Order: sequence, then C-alpha cells, then structure tokens
Amino acid sequence: MESVGTEAANMGEREFKSCDRDDVSHLSLDIGGSLIKMVYFSSGSSSPSDDQKDSYLNDGTNTSIGTSNYNGLREKLHFLKFETSKIDECIKFISSKHLRYYGGQDNKNLASEDNIIKATGGGAFKFADLFKEKLGIVLDKVDEMSCLVAGANFLLKAVNHEAFTYMDGRKDYVQINHKDLYPYLLVNVGSGVSMIKVDGDNEFERVSGTSVGGGTFWGLGRLLTKCQSFDELLELSRQGNNRVIDMLVGDIYGGTDYSKIGLTSTTIASSFGRAISANKELDDYRPEDVARSLLRMISNNIGQIAYLNALRFGLKRIIFGGFFIRGHAYTMDTISVAVDFWSKGEAKALFLRHEGFLGALGAFMNYEKNGFTDITHQFMEQSCEIAQDLVCKDEDL
Amino acid sequence: MANLREREDHRELNIGIGGDLNIDNLADDKSKLNFDTGKDRGSTVLGKEEQLRDKDMGPKAGSSIHRSLSRPQLDLSGAAIQGNFEEKDPAILLPNQSDDISHLALDIGGSLIKLVYFSRHENQPVNDRRRKIIKARLGITNFNRRSFPILGGRLHFVKFETAKINECLDFIYSKQLHRGGMDSRSWQTEGPNTESTVIKATGGGAYKFADLFKDKLGISIEKEDEMNCLVSGANYLLKAIRHEAFTHMEGRKEFVQLDSNDLYPYLLVNIGSGVSIIKVDGEGVFERVSGTNVGGGTYWGLGKLLTKCKSFDELLELSQRGDNRTIDMLVGDIYGGMDYSKIGLSASTIASSFGKAISENKEIDDYRPEDISLSLLRMISYNIGQISYLNALRFGLKRIFFGGFFIRGHAYTMDTISFAVHFWSKGQAQAMFLRHEGFLGALGAFLSYEKHGLDDLLVHQFVERFPMGAPYIGGNVHGPPLGDLNEKISWMEKFVLKGTEITAPVPMLSPGTTGLGGFEVPSSRGDSLRPDASKLNVGVLHLIPSLEVFPLLADPKTYEPNTIDLSDHGELEYWFKVLSEHMPDLVDKAVASEGGTDDAKRRGDAFARAFSAHLARLMEEPSAYGKLGLAHLLELREECLREFHFHDAYRSIKQRENEASLAVLQDLLMELDSMDEESRLLTLIEGVLAANIFDWGSRACVDLYHKGTIIEIYRMSRDKMQRPWRVDDFDIFKERMFGSAEKKPHKYKRALLFVDNSGADIVLGMLPLARELLRRGTEVVLVGNSLPALNDVTAMELPEIVAEAAKHCDILRAAAEAGGLLVDAMINVQDSPRESSLSVPLMVVENGCGSPCIDLRQVSSELAAAAKDADLIVLEGMGRALHTNYNATFKCDALKVAMVKNQRLAAKLINGNIYDSVCRFEAATSPSPSLSFS
Repeated sequence: MESVGTEAANMGEREFKSCDRDDVSHLSLDIGGSLIKMVYFSSGSSSPSDDQKDSYLNDGTNTSIGTSNYNGLREKLHFLKFETSKIDECIKFISSKHLRYYGGQDNKNLASEDNIIKATGGGAFKFADLFKEKLGIVLDKVDEMSCLVAGANFLLKAVNHEAFTYMDGRKDYVQINHKDLYPYLLVNVGSGVSMIKVDGDNEFERVSGTSVGGGTFWGLGRLLTKCQSFDELLELSRQGNNRVIDMLVGDIYGGTDYSKIGLTSTTIASSFGRAISANKELDDYRPEDVARSLLRMISNNIGQIAYLNALRFGLKRIIFGGFFIRGHAYTMDTISVAVDFWSKGEAKALFLRHEGFLGALGAFMNYEKNGFTDITHQFMEQSCEIAQDLVCKDEDL
Repeated sequence: MANLREREDHRELNIGIGGDLNIDNLADDKSKLNFDTGKDRGSTVLGKEEQLRDKDMGPKAGSSIHRSLSRPQLDLSGAAIQGNFEEKDPAILLPNQSDDISHLALDIGGSLIKLVYFSRHENQPVNDRRRKIIKARLGITNFNRRSFPILGGRLHFVKFETAKINECLDFIYSKQLHRGGMDSRSWQTEGPNTESTVIKATGGGAYKFADLFKDKLGISIEKEDEMNCLVSGANYLLKAIRHEAFTHMEGRKEFVQLDSNDLYPYLLVNIGSGVSIIKVDGEGVFERVSGTNVGGGTYWGLGKLLTKCKSFDELLELSQRGDNRTIDMLVGDIYGGMDYSKIGLSASTIASSFGKAISENKEIDDYRPEDISLSLLRMISYNIGQISYLNALRFGLKRIFFGGFFIRGHAYTMDTISFAVHFWSKGQAQAMFLRHEGFLGALGAFLSYEKHGLDDLLVHQFVERFPMGAPYIGGNVHGPPLGDLNEKISWMEKFVLKGTEITAPVPMLSPGTTGLGGFEVPSSRGDSLRPDASKLNVGVLHLIPSLEVFPLLADPKTYEPNTIDLSDHGELEYWFKVLSEHMPDLVDKAVASEGGTDDAKRRGDAFARAFSAHLARLMEEPSAYGKLGLAHLLELREECLREFHFHDAYRSIKQRENEASLAVLQDLLMELDSMDEESRLLTLIEGVLAANIFDWGSRACVDLYHKGTIIEIYRMSRDKMQRPWRVDDFDIFKERMFGSAEKKPHKYKRALLFVDNSGADIVLGMLPLARELLRRGTEVVLVGNSLPALNDVTAMELPEIVAEAAKHCDILRAAAEAGGLLVDAMINVQDSPRESSLSVPLMVVENGCGSPCIDLRQVSSELAAAAKDADLIVLEGMGRALHTNYNATFKCDALKVAMVKNQRLAAKLINGNIYDSVCRFEAATSPSPSLSFS
C-alpha cells in the first residue's frame, strides 16, 4: 500500500533506453522548485507487458494511464519525474526519446510549431533558455494554477477511483459524481503550498497558500538529518517517534490532559518543543525521530490551514495533491487527522493517485491543436467503460 | 530686556518627573494595617524622608548610601509574638521588618517562568495635619469605602527560563516573596506565614514543579486554569493600561487607545511554546477556538538543533543579522527572478520556507546560523499570523491581539505577523501587540486571588515607572536580585563595562528604517548589523488608588497632555540633546544638595549613567517605555534622580530664592495697592509673566542676579512686557473680571492656581495674583507639586511661603488662616482653623505628581476634590501651560500664562521667539460638546 513514493527517486542516475516502439508525442513539463514532472503521450502496437520492461519506468512514482483507441493501438499517458537540480537528466531523457512532435525523429523541420513543449511551473521561465540551447525546444509557458486545476479536473472526471480518503492506514476510494464535483478546494503541496478554490472547469481562484510545504520538509529535513533525498527522508520518518522531540500536552501538564479545552496528553503542544530544554545536540537525536516530528509539523499545519480555508468558503471537499504527499501514508494520515480534528469531522481530506502530476497534466491538456484534445476526450468518454485494470498500472499504489 | 533675548534658554532643562508620592494618600487606610505597629513600637523609627525612597532597595549592609533613605525589606529576624499567646491570630512583631508585603503569582510555561509580584508600600503621610484640614475643608471624608482597602503598591513583572528554575527559586527566596502568600488574612495583617502560604500559579509547570516549590520554599501552589488566566490578564491590561496595545507595521509602532467599553469581542493569540487562539467575548467569557503546535517552542527547539544557540534570546538576536534568501526558496527563485503577478506573488515572496536547503550541495554547516534563524522566525511568525487571521475571519473579528513570550517585542516577529494578517485580510484586520505580552497568564493568576482589590482600579490609577538598574529591565533578570542601592550602583558599573543593552551605543537611525516590510525580504543582509531596538521595557506598575481624573477636563477621553509630539524624530532628537547637555550641571547641583560627599558623587555618577542609558534606550526605540511624550521624558529624569536618592536637588537654591523674594514682597504689594483695579490686573499678569523668567536652570536668570536686586530685575522685566503679547487674551480675561458695557463682571467662586517655580515666580508672580482674587472674594487653591521637580515649588513648601508672606499682608493672612494654612507654618495654632476670620480661604493642595509637567488624567484626589467647586483654572509656566495642557479644554474658564524660554518651542507653538509671552484665556467649554451639538 505504501510503496509508492517511498522508493528512492533518483531516476536521474538511470540509463535511459530509447523506446523505439512507441510513437512518443505531446510531451509536457511542470518544472517546479524541487522536481520536474513530465507527462507524455505514446501510441504504438506494443503490448502492456512490453511497457513494463522499461526499467526506467519502474520507479514507483512513474506511471502511465492507458487506453485503447479503435485502431487497436495502445495509447498511453506516461508520468515521470526528475529532480530539478538534475535537470540535465531530464534533458537527456527528452533527447534520448527523440521527443518531438509526433515523435518524428526524422522531422528536421525546425518550424516553431514542431519544437514547442507546453510547460508550466516556475522553471518554465527559469530554464527556458536552457531548453532552447540544448534541445532547440521552445517552452510554451502555461499558467501554473490553470494547469493544476485543469489537471485535477481531468483526473477527477476521467479516472475512476482517482480520489481517496486515508485515515488510520485505511484507504477508501471515493466515487465523485462529475456533476457534483464543484466547488472544491484544491491544495497543491509542492515546494510551497497553493490553495485554490475551484468552482468549475475554468473557474478557480488561488485563495491562500503557505510557504511551509514540501520544500520545507525536505530542506529542513536535509539540514537536520543529512538525508540525500526526499524519499529517503520520508522513509526515515516511517521509523521515527515524534514524542522524543515534540513537546506534548502531557509534557507540560505532567502527564495529564488539558481536557477542559479538549487537548489530550498526547496532543502536540509544540513541535520540536522538547529540543529546547534537553541538554542535547542535534547529533543526540535519531534522524528518524527528527524526520517524524518534521513531517507531522508540516502535514498538520497544511491540513489546518486548508481546513480553515475550506471553512471560509463552505467547502466540504478538500483535495490534496502535489509532490509532498507522494502517497506517503503518514503524511496523508496526519493531514487527514488535522482536517478531521479541526472540522470536527465535518470536512474530509481527499488525495489523488496522480497527485504530483496535476500541473504537467494540465499543461498537457493545453495542447489544443491537431485534434489532440481528443485524447482527453477519449479518456473522459471511455474511462467509465474501460476495465479497471487497464486504467492504471500502479496497482500497488 | 533686549539682552534677555540673546540669552540661551535653559528652563526646559529643569523639568522633571513625578513620583509616587501619591501613595501617601493611603494614609487613611493605614490604621487598618496592623503590622505598622511593629514600627511604632520598635526602636527602628524611621524618618519621614524614608517614606519616599525606592522600595526595591533592600537592607543595607553598612553602606552609607542608605543613610536615611533605605528601609529594610521584610526581615523576620527578631520576630516575636506580641501579646497573649492564647490570642487567636496574634500579631507578630517584626522589629526589623519593613511594611512592604509582597504577593506573588507565577506562570510556569514550557520555556519560561513569569512572575508577577506585588509589593505594598505604606507611606506615612507627609503632612498629616495640613491634610486633615484640607480634607475637612474640601469635604473629603473617606477615600475608600470598600470592605478591604485598595492597596497602593507596585506590580513587578519578572521572567526566568524554565530550564533555570533554580534562579527563579533564588529570586523568590531572596526577595522573600514566598513569605507573603496572599490569603486574605495576610492582606490584612502580618499573619503567621508558615506552611499555609499558597501561591497562585498557572501554566503547565504549575503541575510539574509543584513539588519543587513545596520542597524548596514551602510554597503550596494553587493551580489556576491557564486560559482563564490568559484572558483575564489580557482583559485587565487592555482596560487598565492606557497604551497597552499597539500595532507594528514596517518597523513602526503605533499605540492604540482602546475604548474599554468597546473591547469585545476580540481574538487573543497567545504564543508560548505552542499557540492558543482564543475568542474573547467578555469578562470571563471566552473559547479556545484554535491553536497550532508551531509556536515559540518550535522556533527555539528547531533553532537550537540547527544553530546550537544557547538561549532563545541568542537565537532571536542571530536572526537580526540574517538573510533568509540563502535558505528560503522565493517566488523569484522558481520563476527566474520574475514575479508571479497574476496571483499577486512578488519575486521576493517566500514560496517555500527552507526550500533552498534542498537542492544545493550544502550541509548544515555551510549555512550561516543567522540566516537559519531568520528563515525559521519568518516561517513561524508568518504561519501564526495566517492561522490567526483565518480564525478571526471565521468569527468576524477585526481585532487580533498577539501575546505570549515568543514575541518579546521583537520587531521582525511583529512585522511578520502583522504583515501576514494585513496581507491575508487585505487590510481589514489588524494585528495588535501588548506591551506586557509575556505576562498575561501570570497577571491573570495574580488577579485570581480573591482580595487583591485591583479589580476596581481604573486606568488613571496606574503609573508605570522604569527604575534603572533594577534586575528586571524589560522583564529580564540580569543576575542576582539587588539588595540595596549600593549593590545597584555596583551592578550598574559592571553593566556599563560590559556594554550590554542598557548602555548600548545610540544608533541615530530614524525609526522606520529598520522596517522590513514583513513578508518581503529584509533590507539588510550579510554581516551588516540590523539592530533590533524594538524590545519593549516592562516597567514596575505603581498602583495608586488615590489618583483621579481631573474633573474639570472638558473631554477626558480625547485629552492628550503632551503638546509636542515626540514621534517626530527631529523633535525627539532635540529634546534628548537638551536633556543631555544639561546633565552635568544637574549632577553638580544634585551632588551639592547632598553635601558633595563621595557617596553623593558616586550616586551622582550612577544617576548620570542611568539617565543617559534611558535616553539612549529611548533614542533607539522611542516606544520602549510606552507612548512617549515630553512630559514622560521630563518625569523620567526626576524619577531617576529619586531612584538614586536625590530627593530635592534644588532645595537650598529654592530656599535662598524664596527668602530673597519674600524680602521684597512688601514693596511690590505697596506698589500694586497704589494702582486702580484695571491697571493692577494688567500689572499682575505682567508680573506673573515677568516672574516666570526667574528660573534656576536659566543662565539668563543667574546673570541677572549680578545686575541688581531681585525687585529691580522683576520690575525691569515687567516693564518690558509690552503688549500685545504673542498670545494675548488679556482683554477677554479683563472683561470677564470687570465686565463691560454689555457684560456684567464675573465673580469667580474658586480659582485653582497651578504654580511653577520657587522664588520670584511664586512669591512675586502668583501670590500677588492669588491675593487679588482673594480680595475679590474668590477662594484660591494653590496647586503645588507633590514631589520636588527641580526648582518647582512643592505643596509641602507652599504653606511656609504663604505664612511668611502673610506677615506682610493682612489679606493673605486672613485667607491663609481661613484655609488652615497657618496651622503648619506657625507654632501654637490649634488643629482647627480659626473661625474669627471672615475671609475666603486660601488653600494648598498637591497635584499628585513630581514632574514639571502635569498629566491631568492622573491627579491627586485632593486636587480632584478641590476642583469640584472651582470655576477658574490658572496654569502657569512652560511645563504645565505649554509643554502640557496648552491645547487642553476645560469645563470652566482657564487662563494659561507662561513665558516661552525656548526658541524651538516658541517657533513651533506660537510662531514666535524666545521670551515671547503667552496669555491664553478660554471660557468654559460645554461639558459634553456632542450633546450640545445635536
């Protein structure tokens, strides 16, 4: 259940094989502060089992959604990510895949239309020159929020069992009626956090946000634990005990609850509060415990702020996406508990299976030309009919 | 007179500060306090002047400094039970014990222990007989009609780190605070303080450390609910302290005056180790609606792990030199330096706190601790501001008060929180902070004692003082408690050598340049020091139940005593310069007044250091002691002098001048009596103005003495008073007095004369005016200072001067007799005033302060009583009529008379020059203008 997102995500070190059999086209990118998310479309005669042999796709977070067109060709959307600091790997990958318009490796025509990649995220601006220089590709910048919302709307409508709740280690898929999807609060937890009120297909507003997000977890965590990667840090936190470092209500009240205001003795009164009084240095704490406290602090805070914003607008549904979550059980659990606690059970935290790819997917949806919007329509139309096992490869999500 | 214009002005240098003499007014309650008997019976009978000394001083150990001024602290040595041992609750005679009784409440948090303790000071009446007569005359019967006395005394605010709880225990022990548990009995008597001592405490540690307190000090801790305490502490502060709340935006503080009738509802955010967010709907009506675990403990805890700082304050200080851009990921970092303006995010907005620590190949040691601390501080402050705002929004609350020890008056913290609230609310909600931010809980616990008697105190009954060298500057404890003045001076000497905050060099930055714009990136970076000056000093809160609002103020709510706004930095700098330059001369005089001994010199040095430090502190942060006005500044100086036991630096000078002036009074009166009424009135007002130039701080005055006799100079000055004066309402005043074709003359029933300097000013200026009013059948009340302030005449000195003057004048004598003044001054006079005289009375009351200025919101009860029948007020001199109250309006007629002896003030206030005269007359203002309007 939890394996997704917990494996090391250093795919940049892998050797990318050329995927000759696929017609790879319509690639889009979401270049964030920490990670680059990629979505591309392939169609070809290859069987699903062939795909699974592609070693570089076996990183748990790299997935694909497949569907069949009437020609019997397998059409797939692929989801990949790279660390932004290793952007060269991403460029290498694109180059190796000969990802050009319609996969036309022979197409030497440098007309601008052929060399455009839809991209979003801050990096679409920052690295525009790099892509131009290395690949001759022009990044067509698409607004980040629009992409997030379009991506989320697409997933929620097109993919069965995209959304789920997560409480006490239990995952429950939620069937959302397309007609009753709006309004909802979309919380995209990337390096930072954006909170977007979504009222319709293209109606949305960024109502809030916080700078305490995935980047904070990773950044602080790196300083505190010397972890080499985000996923390593997440993995550490699974083995940690936050009570070592967090000051609990019981620590302050000598083991008793402060029941008058509904605080049990195990409630965290102050994250990292115990690091104060003890005569301990950083090295005296287990990295696992540090990671755990950090994760709880940040997850809880995001959950709380999200709930308060949902409350403001009377939204019952809060959908969390973005790469911070990564299907990590404890993260989802903490966020869910925070929403549940502050809303007194009134509001629910929902998560998305393709949480990290909202922006990239949204950018992908932005391809409007040459009938390519059909892809999305196909997914949307067919999703109800497609057998569940075809929809998604990442069964172990 | 022309030569006068060229002379320098020095008068304003003489202005000083009011004392807490008002506690004297508790005399009536004194009889109820049995423990005074110990003093009466014991051999250690103390002199009168001891009543005025600083009670923070403990017993002296053979130090000459204490000569006549110190009174021992609670000293149980030699205790013996008085009377029958079978008696229930026998009084204990403590021959070596002072009558200071302290009471204590604690707030023991996860990080800090906050103490609020009360020390009661029973001052002997300075002038009991005169006062009795005045009271009888003014119809004052009983100040306090409560079942228990409202206590005059002081509230102290002190904090310790919880990790160093032993320091706290030592402090309590050395101050003997644990002996004064506030059960109802010990409020009344010095009952047996054994194991029954119960101390109110709140905070989690109240549970955790209960046994420790029991073991070490024998204190039983009674736990009070934390939220209750927070809320009642906040409610109390917001109601009792005039300028408790302030906003803080971009480095700039603005004190907010709240209408205590319109306080609720509000959101109270207490940032301790964690954060509690409480909706307060009224007295005792509140709900904890939210909170966050990301609070002060998180800042400190994470900060400690990341930077190895040894203390919270060290960490906070580090942040002042930090640049968060090295660690935080900004919108610009993601967008390649561009804004994401579509959603209102500028390039410098933090996208992800600590987000930059991700991608670089850096270890923790590669980051500057300063930067880490700043990033952390911003992250947590901003987050708290955001969550608070979202909760305020939920309940439609516009006011959010932030308290708790995380804030610590730290500018950047407050700016960040304010920015968050402002940003998210789009300016609709306001973040406010409290000067006593950290002490809400402890104060609430203190208030939970049943019979503290503080509930009934109102805002005008509090005076905050800032003793220098006390161990709790800003609530911080710097070393062991100070036993006496000697220790205090020694401590200060070391302190100065150390160059710590009190004597820090004075940065002359104008306020606002340190403003960092909250969420924006700090303007400073690298190693450039960004001084965080905005820590607020928490003073000692004097509770003076006898203070009242001057009843004749037309609109007490909008009254502002200070004429000059010191928030104008240029103004502030000017006055600081004036005060600094005058200091050496003042120290000389002060030392001379104490006989010029080595001890006096040492105290003089200490005073100079202390007052310079005050000035430096205020220059650095003008709001450090609350809202700053010139009156406060001048009062601070007087208080500082008193703190170092200079009680009347100008004593001998005043005496000499009084004598010289009295010697020529008869000549003057004869001259006046030869005039007709109308020209006499003019001559009298001219005389007041002329005499107001006699000023001991003024070099002009000193020079004049070499040129002739005092009466010659006076006459010469008077003759130069050519009308029209710069502000000249004399004709209106004259018409009011004598009438005109259309108007009948007005006979005033009672006039209050607020007098200024000793010597010619009172004797040749104000007394003749008083005499004229008496002659016209108007009762006259001379209002003098309660405590000396430079060469200002005090209420205590006035009877003697009047008695002396009465020897030359029948009018004055009869009136003084009628007013009971001669009782004090003459020997062999009975207690009750002689009824033989038919004259209207001449009386003397004290004004309740010891400053050359006067804040009419806080005057003595006897002045308030005297004001009841008054229909004319005369304010004389720069301090009372110009620096303060120039724009004050009254329910009765008011005459403001002064000579301007400061070029800057003359230019600013009356668009005139030095030595211009002001004679401003304003007829009574309708008591409630708003009503008359409709």
